[in-house]
Amino acid sequence: MKACCLAAFSTLLITPLAASEPVMFCERPLTAQAVAENTWMVEGVKEELSTSNCGHIGNQAFIATPSGVILIDSGSSPRFGDALKTLIAQYTAQPVRWVLNTHHHPDHFFGNAAFDEAQHLTLASTRALMARDRDALIDNVARLTGSSVEHSSITLPSVIEAGEITLGNYPLTLFAMSGHSGGDLVIMDHATGVLFLGDMGFYQRAAATAHTPSLQQWQEELKALSALNASTAVPGHGPSAPPDTIIGQTSHYLEWLDQHLSDVASEGLGANHALAVEIPDMFSTMALNEYEFTRSVMQLYPRYEARLLWGAPH
Amino acid sequence: MATLTAIITLQRLAATFAAPLALPLAALCWLLLVLPTTALATTSTAEQDPFNSFMWPVYRERFLGDDPVVFDDRVIVNAPGFAEDSGQVPLELDASALEASGEPITDIIAWVDLNPIPRLFRYSPMSHGLAKLSLNIRLEQASAVRVAVKQGDTWHVGGTYIEAEGGGCTTPGIASADTDWETTFGELQGRLFTNEHEQRLRVRLSHPMDSGLIPSQPAFYVQSFELLDQQGQQVAALDIEASVSANPTLGLHMRPSPGGYVIGARDNNGNRFSIGLQP
Repeated sequence: MKACCLAAFSTLLITPLAASEPVMFCERPLTAQAVAENTWMVEGVKEELSTSNCGHIGNQAFIATPSGVILIDSGSSPRFGDALKTLIAQYTAQPVRWVLNTHHHPDHFFGNAAFDEAQHLTLASTRALMARDRDALIDNVARLTGSSVEHSSITLPSVIEAGEITLGNYPLTLFAMSGHSGGDLVIMDHATGVLFLGDMGFYQRAAATAHTPSLQQWQEELKALSALNASTAVPGHGPSAPPDTIIGQTSHYLEWLDQHLSDVASEGLGANHALAVEIPDMFSTMALNEYEFTRSVMQLYPRYEARLLWGAPH
Repeated sequence: MATLTAIITLQRLAATFAAPLALPLAALCWLLLVLPTTALATTSTAEQDPFNSFMWPVYRERFLGDDPVVFDDRVIVNAPGFAEDSGQVPLELDASALEASGEPITDIIAWVDLNPIPRLFRYSPMSHGLAKLSLNIRLEQASAVRVAVKQGDTWHVGGTYIEAEGGGCTTPGIASADTDWETTFGELQGRLFTNEHEQRLRVRLSHPMDSGLIPSQPAFYVQSFELLDQQGQQVAALDIEASVSANPTLGLHMRPSPGGYVIGARDNNGNRFSIGLQP
């Protein structure tokens, strides 16, 4: 394979291996959808981690380049990573040489171990959060999916700086953001116009807010991402769509949530009053809206009280 | 109270009706008649634990003694269905419908069936407190949470069931707005909100609420809050246990007082805290 490249590489990239059996994961076929030339995404089910989905809830994407495959996020277990690796091999003969992890949540980097011959890369901020939360997250995955994950198989990626980078000869633009998790890597591929949002973008699935520094921060960063004028976006959860569609839905929801929590907290009412509200119809198409809303109230309400009642800076 | 009386009357009626019949038939009729009546009664009050918890008889006896007890839908206990952060689960009591229906509420006791420290609080509304309260609690595992409200000689019990499970990206302490308690220890903050029916007090005390259950960490927690009027007269009292979350945040509902209220607190080490809140 080494000397093959040069003129023929584009043909090579799109040549899948011989007609292959469907890759199965969790008793369901695992599939990839093309989102642009040489670019595919694997969409997770729009659910929370559970025994019935074996943890396949987040999206992954991969770009086949002449010098190897760039994988963006690896799923929530080494076992899933193995299935993903088999699936990728059906779309390109190139090996995965780089894994970029968009943030520290388990459904986005626990599959890294399956790609041990690749370089694993993430932001310094993300790596620090992985180190902080790794043990708790390993326990969560075991508790919710019912299958344990070896601690030793969850290693931390190396650090990559945001900015213009090349992997092999393939250029990408990396943005260091923090709105969703405190360390969010967003990737723009100018060659194809695809914007990989990680969990900065949720589409048709309500946003998870456990580690957001603030909902305002998240919204401001989404505004900046809108300005990139990408042609297609891949969210961390939910299907791909035009960037404005995904960013619009995520930010409208965050805006509503932010306003609602502010309103209830400023009246001196308890968190249960914040919970007792109808989620607006415009968000009814988003999976898990009741569940994530309930989580968000519990996670964020004390902060709104701190800021609005107790005068804490934020 | 009216419905409680109704249960007894209907049972007696059933028994009376069955008496002239042969014994097995009498038993059958009694069953047929009593079962549906009891089921009907659960729409408002009932005597059967709706959560079927094995700890119910134990804590009923420990906390409520021999007094009459009914499960009563007018004792509304609100909490999320699951604990995203088991160290900070928001709980809210609203027994205002019960309060409006009869005699004054004299005593309120809350507990978690399956917590190592089951009791949450004991609230004496006294002269100025209303039968509403909110605070955050700790939950060791999925459990029924109970609030018993005493009106006359009867305890009216409400409750809710909370699953103790966070999501996949949940990490401990996510809802703790303050992790560095030593720098803010003892800060008591509060706001008073007035409407035509009540003065709502929202109060937060920076305190670790160490339960003493963690080895080498002695118990260090707030034991009591009291509410005083402007003359320094105690008008409501709340005793809490270490099953209340760190940095206790209370929502208290009081009868309007033109001069507002003073809130005092005391922990098991003898520290005292207080704050005055005016409308």
